[in-house]
Amino acid sequence: MTGGVAPSTLAPGRIAVRRSSPGSWQPWLWIAPAIAVLLAIFGYSIVALFGESLTFQGDWVGLENFGLIFSDPLFTTGLLHNGLLLLAVPVLAAFATFFAVLLFETKRGLGFYRAVVFMPYVLAVPVVAVVFGQLLQRNGPINEALRSAGLSAIALDWLGDPNVALWTMAGVIMWKEVGFGVVLILARMLTVSTEMYEAAKLDGAGFWRTHWSITLPEIRPILGFYVVTEAITMVSWVFNYVYVLTNGQGGPGNATVVSELYIYRNAFQYQQPELAAAAAVILFLGTMLFVIVFVRMQRRSLRVSS
Amino acid sequence: MIPLARRYGGPTVRYVLLSVFALVALLPTYVMFTGAFKSQDQFIRSPFGLPLEPSLDGFVRVWSAQFPVWFMNSVVVTGASVILTVAVAALAAWGFANWSFRGKSGLLAVIISLMVIPPVVLLIPLFQVGAQLGWISTYRLLILIYIGLMLPFSIFMLTNFFSTVPGSILEAARVDGASSWTTFTRIVLPLSKAPLATLAIVNVLWAWNELLLALVLMQSDDKKTLMIGLTGFQSRYSLDIPTVMAGMSIATLPLLVVYLIGQRSFIQGLTAGSIKGE
Amino acid sequence: MTTTRKLAGALLVATALVLTACTGAGSGGSTPVNTAFPTEKVKLTMWWWGEQEAPGAQKYVDEAIAAYEKKHPNVTIDAVLQTTDGLVPSFQTAAASKTGPDIEYFWGGTNALTPAWQKQITPISDYIPKEELSHYLNATEETYDGKVWTAPWYVQPSFPLLIRKDVLAKNGLSVPTTWDQLMSVCDALSSKGITTIAGGVKDGWFGGWLYSILGSQDLSSQSDVLAAVVGTQSFTDAKQAEWWTRLAESKQHGCWNNDINSLELYQAQQRFVDGAAAMTITAGTDAPNFVKKAGGDANVEVTAMPSWADGPYAGKLGSSSQTLGITSWSKYPQVAADFIMFLHTSAQLDAWYAATGAMPADDRFDLSQVTSPAKKKLFDMASHGGPYLENYIPPQLDSDAVFKNVQLVLQGSTTPAQAAADMEATAKRLRSTDRTLVKNYTVWAR
Repeated sequence: MTGGVAPSTLAPGRIAVRRSSPGSWQPWLWIAPAIAVLLAIFGYSIVALFGESLTFQGDWVGLENFGLIFSDPLFTTGLLHNGLLLLAVPVLAAFATFFAVLLFETKRGLGFYRAVVFMPYVLAVPVVAVVFGQLLQRNGPINEALRSAGLSAIALDWLGDPNVALWTMAGVIMWKEVGFGVVLILARMLTVSTEMYEAAKLDGAGFWRTHWSITLPEIRPILGFYVVTEAITMVSWVFNYVYVLTNGQGGPGNATVVSELYIYRNAFQYQQPELAAAAAVILFLGTMLFVIVFVRMQRRSLRVSS
Repeated sequence: MIPLARRYGGPTVRYVLLSVFALVALLPTYVMFTGAFKSQDQFIRSPFGLPLEPSLDGFVRVWSAQFPVWFMNSVVVTGASVILTVAVAALAAWGFANWSFRGKSGLLAVIISLMVIPPVVLLIPLFQVGAQLGWISTYRLLILIYIGLMLPFSIFMLTNFFSTVPGSILEAARVDGASSWTTFTRIVLPLSKAPLATLAIVNVLWAWNELLLALVLMQSDDKKTLMIGLTGFQSRYSLDIPTVMAGMSIATLPLLVVYLIGQRSFIQGLTAGSIKGE
Repeated sequence: MTTTRKLAGALLVATALVLTACTGAGSGGSTPVNTAFPTEKVKLTMWWWGEQEAPGAQKYVDEAIAAYEKKHPNVTIDAVLQTTDGLVPSFQTAAASKTGPDIEYFWGGTNALTPAWQKQITPISDYIPKEELSHYLNATEETYDGKVWTAPWYVQPSFPLLIRKDVLAKNGLSVPTTWDQLMSVCDALSSKGITTIAGGVKDGWFGGWLYSILGSQDLSSQSDVLAAVVGTQSFTDAKQAEWWTRLAESKQHGCWNNDINSLELYQAQQRFVDGAAAMTITAGTDAPNFVKKAGGDANVEVTAMPSWADGPYAGKLGSSSQTLGITSWSKYPQVAADFIMFLHTSAQLDAWYAATGAMPADDRFDLSQVTSPAKKKLFDMASHGGPYLENYIPPQLDSDAVFKNVQLVLQGSTTPAQAAADMEATAKRLRSTDRTLVKNYTVWAR
């Protein structure tokens, strides 16, 4: 590839200039600082983690820690709960889509409602957890309101009933995360040409039909992005919720123990960093599944653009 | 088809749904802000009502604790880590967007995939090495780790955006003899104000609200960030709800203000950066 | 990290050997390490807990430090109050980096010995003379291998049941003295929709309390518990497991508030003060405050949990002392020890009592100054109390098995038999994952 300007064969708006030859050192200069930081934080940690998981107090013990982890019912329970939380993701995506569509149909007050919808995303998790911790008590404000409205059948023990607690947690997470999806989807919808919608209206298509055949295909990529992002959240970024909502107990019983909590407790409360490291390695390998999905998505889109 | 019902039923149903949704979204914030001004009894008796006899006791109690120190710590850590992250990510993103080179797509994919790794996985080895270096309870360790964690998403977002800079402008600059550095600073950056601002806001949100890492890495009381202080606060004063709510309100206020002001361009930039390339 | 830890451990062992050889006192560890009081500027950090259960402690600590600093102008002490949920994790992380406090607060028993086994603290018997130590109450809880590892500070009568006579009287009931009577009171009050005992288990701690006050009633000594930890007895044996059945029984009779699983411990106790519950269980050090808020001695009965068994500890309070220890990385252990001894001087003991109303862990404390009947009763019961069980099980067993199963039993999701079996299974697991557990607890039991 010779230097100079290559004719643009890309979609309009895409960058057309590609500098020099593949062997150029220039880009590496730009990328270097980022790589340095990432190597220090991620590279070192992963290697050290693998190493630690194979030792106990300095001595090599092979896979002993892994054996102990896998035979611990609490660990598998934690993984199971992460899995159950994943079930909430499609529900979350559905809610987000539904509300985005609602907003899309709204002419007046769109800005206001959109701002309101996104607000939970701005709040800190500890704040959210404390407030919900107060609101969701069995005899707390929400249940009191439900009871006075004659709905005491659904005034459950949101935080205290082990059968319900995990779903309560999922609910709180969804409450906070849905705004993000709404904003993403709505923005995408707004870029779809209005002609399509007008045509549909002329054809006499109703609400559901319109959105099923026009909106859904248009938002599929962004929906996919959102689903993957939230799935990652449910596996890797729920520690804060559990820690604050259950005072670090993962209760009631073990109903809300997730793998992050398991790792944290072993490392920092029970002084068993090697076991924690082994569990962390397993969690890391598990998330590699997501990495593969993510990488495929990225490579596809990058190849399109370059 | 029932055109009549559709004409009158539709919008009404929609507004009802929207209002319910807005109520649910706003309720906890509302409870928090009003609770801060109530007394303990008032809160228990009427948690949803407006404060009948507003009092500032909660705020006073909160402020006399370590609150100001924690607040400053959060400002320092968040500010430094976000500024550095955006800078380093912008450099790297330009490197990815403007050149093609061998291994580029693979490297980029790997970097972006780092988002998937749970922070707790990194925490154990990083904590241990931090202890060895004597960097526990120092700003630099926490800031460095935050930068590391924020980089993947930042690089992802900025690379996507920089890829959309029109080639014609860059070509014109090249013809004028501009170096890549000048092109970057004089042309690309000014064009990227919206996504850069958005990225900064997203990162500020993340860093300000981060709990786990700060909890473990900032041991000494004078270095704790606001989030740590607040969570401990809650168990210490769990009988004094107004104080807890006051603390939470103060903690949330800066972010809310930033969000409300920058809301429009924020959302614009967020969607511009994320949805391209999908 | 591990090499450093090994070196530190080796150094400690070597020092200990040298010291033992020098003093020639065998395994007594009685002669203190002779290090002169430093003359240069000394800064100590103390991480502590206690204001939460002994209100007034913060004020006392501030004043005690001021007094000590006046006595030793080259010493400054920085005392930082920790949160309940954060006390242990913050120490563990500090210990891992060998930075942080010089003096650390520990709950008694295993809570003090677990750091000792991990060489995170140095025994205070190395710095405080045996004669002095002999006055500290409940020091046997943290005695291991002939050394006392942390210094008792104040006594925690564990844990009295507070009964509001007015609520009972309003419903035509009298104060129960046996378990069966308590169950009838629960029946009567719950049929009227009144909470008998207010409790909160969301944050787990209350479970440990219940284990100790209900579970000790059928045991003959703390060695039973230690034996179950080590494996020579089982947590499913009748005398170890019966208390789960009693706990379930209390739920069946409607003794507890129905939101016990969504409330935290301190939140629930508030119900008692508000008159919304007839009884509650509080920390012994905190009981006098609750008595005062709920109408004074005439209205509130302070007593041990009514007994369902007739073992030697039935009807008794547990007696445990909260302690202060010296960290192994402290540069001035002798100063730390000196401060601890200062807290045990007679003026300080009196000041502690005056500030908090709690009993100092020192038999030289003049009990005649205690006039309030509630406190008198508490102190008396604590002086003749039984072992506090929670301090004899590994902390991990406590939170993984006790907290969890108490939550589930009170929720109704698990049976007593399952709870006991789960505790035994957890203990069994712990014996394999914590590879030093059996050895430590066996030596301790001697």
